Amino acid sequence: MNLENDLKRALRRQSPPAGFASRVMEKVDAENDVAPGFSRAKGGLKRAPTWWRAAAASFTLAALLGGFVTHRVVERRRGERAREELLRALSIAAEKVSYAQQEVRGIGSR
Amino acid sequence: MTAIAPEVIEMPRPLARAQGGDHDAFAEIIERHEAMVFSLAYRFFNDRGRAEEIAQDVFLQLYRHLPMIESDSHLLFWLRQVTTRRCIDLTRRARLKPVRLEDVSELRVVDRHADPLLDRRLRQLIEELPEMQRAIVTLRYQEDLDPSEICRIVNMPVNTVKSHLHRALQSLRRRLGEQP
Repeated sequence: MNLENDLKRALRRQSPPAGFASRVMEKVDAENDVAPGFSRAKGGLKRAPTWWRAAAASFTLAALLGGFVTHRVVERRRGERAREELLRALSIAAEKVSYAQQEVRGIGSR
Repeated sequence: MTAIAPEVIEMPRPLARAQGGDHDAFAEIIERHEAMVFSLAYRFFNDRGRAEEIAQDVFLQLYRHLPMIESDSHLLFWLRQVTTRRCIDLTRRARLKPVRLEDVSELRVVDRHADPLLDRRLRQLIEELPEMQRAIVTLRYQEDLDPSEICRIVNMPVNTVKSHLHRALQSLRRRLGEQP
């Protein structure tokens, strides 16, 4: 008995169940529906590099901050405009009251 | 008079085509190596379902690493290394109880010189070897690799591989009732 020959025979390669390659290709296709953080690379999928993800995060943060600051500026300008309108309205009202007082005084003196 | 040699149009190899994004070429690579990857995993777990699961994962990992594969021989080495290491890791991590051969249905190629009882007994004894010896015996006799090739796959000095192989064969001989 030659153990080495027996081992070679006992350990011959076996085929996987039928349709194995198709099942792997289905998984490959599923991976090709690119997930966030992955980009399609030549012949395969490659995780986006760290620097790229850091840059994307910085850009998002900058956009959010920019939006917030713009919102604050617009709000302040709107407040200032409302204040000016109120002051103008008060001024007009004061003029009218003054005019009315003068009229009342004129009537009283007659 | 000079003969005009017919022009040979050489098709790019499946690896190059797969690296260029050709899915059919990748399927060709799978079909070419599926028996090797599946059998390596099957020797470890004696479970066709689990072996298929591991083999699928290995090919999926290959797909992700395709741009890094340099040649056909590198591809073969990569597949053997990743499959073997994954099997060893899974065995060590989970300390899975292997499925008994009696519970496994198996598709066999009929060989008129084969002794089915001896083959079965040998596979049973291999299944009982420590994981590293099991991996080395499988790579040696299923894949027909030399210790110098096996040592690169399992990342061990060649003498350690030889020593594991020697111990595994001794154990198999002893348990088969054959004197070394």
